[in-house]
Amino acid sequence: MKRILKSNLPELWESISNNFDLFLPMEQGTLINFGAYETDKNIRLDILKTNSSVKEFVFPQTETYLKFKLNKKKLELTPVAVEDREYVLFGVRNCDAASFKVMDNIFLRQPVDTYYKAHRDRGIIVTLACNNPEETCFCSAFGIDASEASPLADIATWEKGDYLYLDAKSEKGEKLLNSVAILLEDGESSELVELKREIKIKLENLSLRKLDPKKITKTQQDIFEMEDFWEELSKKCLACGSCTFVCPTCHCYDVKDYDGGNSGERYRCWDSCMISDFTRMAHGNPRTSQLQRVRQRFMHKLVYYPKNHDGLYSCVGCGRCIEKCPVGLNIVRVIKRLGEE
Amino acid sequence: MEIMTEKIREIAKEALLNNKVQMVIGWEKGDFSFESTPVFITEADKVDSLVFDNYCVNNLSKYLIEESKKYEKIGIFLKGCDSLGFNQLLRDNRIERDKIYVWGLPCSGMLDSKNKKYSKCENCLHPNPVVYDELIGDEIVSSGDPEERFREVKILENMSADERYEFWSNEFSRCIRCNACRNICPACSCVKCVFDNDDINVLGKANLETENGFFHLTRAYHVAGNCVDCGECARVCPAHIRLDLLNRKIIKDLNETYGEWEAGMDSTTPSPLVSYTLEDKDNFAVKKGGK
Repeated sequence: MKRILKSNLPELWESISNNFDLFLPMEQGTLINFGAYETDKNIRLDILKTNSSVKEFVFPQTETYLKFKLNKKKLELTPVAVEDREYVLFGVRNCDAASFKVMDNIFLRQPVDTYYKAHRDRGIIVTLACNNPEETCFCSAFGIDASEASPLADIATWEKGDYLYLDAKSEKGEKLLNSVAILLEDGESSELVELKREIKIKLENLSLRKLDPKKITKTQQDIFEMEDFWEELSKKCLACGSCTFVCPTCHCYDVKDYDGGNSGERYRCWDSCMISDFTRMAHGNPRTSQLQRVRQRFMHKLVYYPKNHDGLYSCVGCGRCIEKCPVGLNIVRVIKRLGEE
Repeated sequence: MEIMTEKIREIAKEALLNNKVQMVIGWEKGDFSFESTPVFITEADKVDSLVFDNYCVNNLSKYLIEESKKYEKIGIFLKGCDSLGFNQLLRDNRIERDKIYVWGLPCSGMLDSKNKKYSKCENCLHPNPVVYDELIGDEIVSSGDPEERFREVKILENMSADERYEFWSNEFSRCIRCNACRNICPACSCVKCVFDNDDINVLGKANLETENGFFHLTRAYHVAGNCVDCGECARVCPAHIRLDLLNRKIIKDLNETYGEWEAGMDSTTPSPLVSYTLEDKDNFAVKKGGK
């Protein structure tokens, strides 16, 4: 365990940014999102969750795979490679860190998604414990402990008093801490006991503490057939995609081409089950109503995904969908209602 | 507000029991104190979920496009800004007036999740509905300042072209392409949006500055003359893009070019962009700008 005076953090960041691309939560206008480190930026480690999630770093919203060009009668294909510089995400909350696990299950199984893997391998995740979780947080429903180190962290950090405590959790993390060792002093994990206890008490007192997706015991078929329930929910839905785009675990994508006549690019981009052409294929679209799309969204997160991935849910309780939905249609309500006997 | 909640429950119950309407669209409490969300009620014994409090920010009128197809008559609660959107939908022939019973609700402004008044409510010029069959509660005197409406637009107008370009590029660069602005808008009511028509490839799903800018400019021009300035687009934008400011700039331009015009005040006057009179300030006789 190491520690550093918070007033010395700019020095630490400066030093890290000499060897890595460093991203931190920073204020840009009215938004706070992860951005590239620069000395004059307004860095906000105090903010609980950024406006958008960090999934953008491993699964960019738009990413070109391939460039193509017709040269006389010959088609030239040029695959686009991923940047090979290592990067550090500093100040990731445990819910967002947990989302990497959800996406690893999708993109790192066979056949491995080489683009995702390249982004994932080059990233170093520095998590930050949540001293002040909010009313809309429900990470504990998914077994995430915001007071402890995340299993996905390369380095876990805690803010306590004048200090930031850092604990390397992986080889990558060790390497990073070693590279800035001169700026760090030794700390003891015992110094964090009280802080962790305080956070745990706050987590216990959150209004969504009792939310538990495991109470959903109905069969997949029964849940699918709850048409009245899905009808009531989806009636409110405006069919915008903000819930899916701010969600750290939503991972559906579409592959499209920019058609420039004799040349073009093939790219992938985030898709959303809320959008009308979602799942459209050659024969047509099997999901023609918003009821079907809303049902897909929640069943994917709470039923299909855990069924296929050893009970892990495709939600980490960050609460962004609660804050962003224009009509207050959120997963909390779905978990509560589906879990009713 | 509690008295209002009691009253709207009573009214809705009576209307459903007597088959005056077959469905009521109102608001109910969500899972958080700061959430009051749209609710659709068809049975009189379910009216007790209805509320009217400081969080009923959603404009319910857009739901009428789909719902009013299914019933002989629908009852709906509308606030001032919502009623402008309602008129807009009538003017676009997307809903039929005689299939809808409107309960008008004077509104003193709505609060966000941090209990702060929405900025769109701070300078409200229409706290009272401009159309209704029955007004519930007492009218509220508007404290909004019409001058304030265009204050920020004027700041933009005073910028150089390059500064303005930078301002809007920065705004649109944050867009996450979620379509919330379009989908909540009472002026965006096309049966099939050109952007959803992927057969003709008007716009891809890529998040690129060019595509984002194209989307927002097309949308803003498309609703020109129809935008009722309800501010919902800016409220729901997850990236806090100042769409209200963009729309307001167009409203100001319309006012200056074609005379004072406020969309949504009634459901019959055609918008200046779809009508022509010889008295128009710009008679198009003199060629200006362009090549």
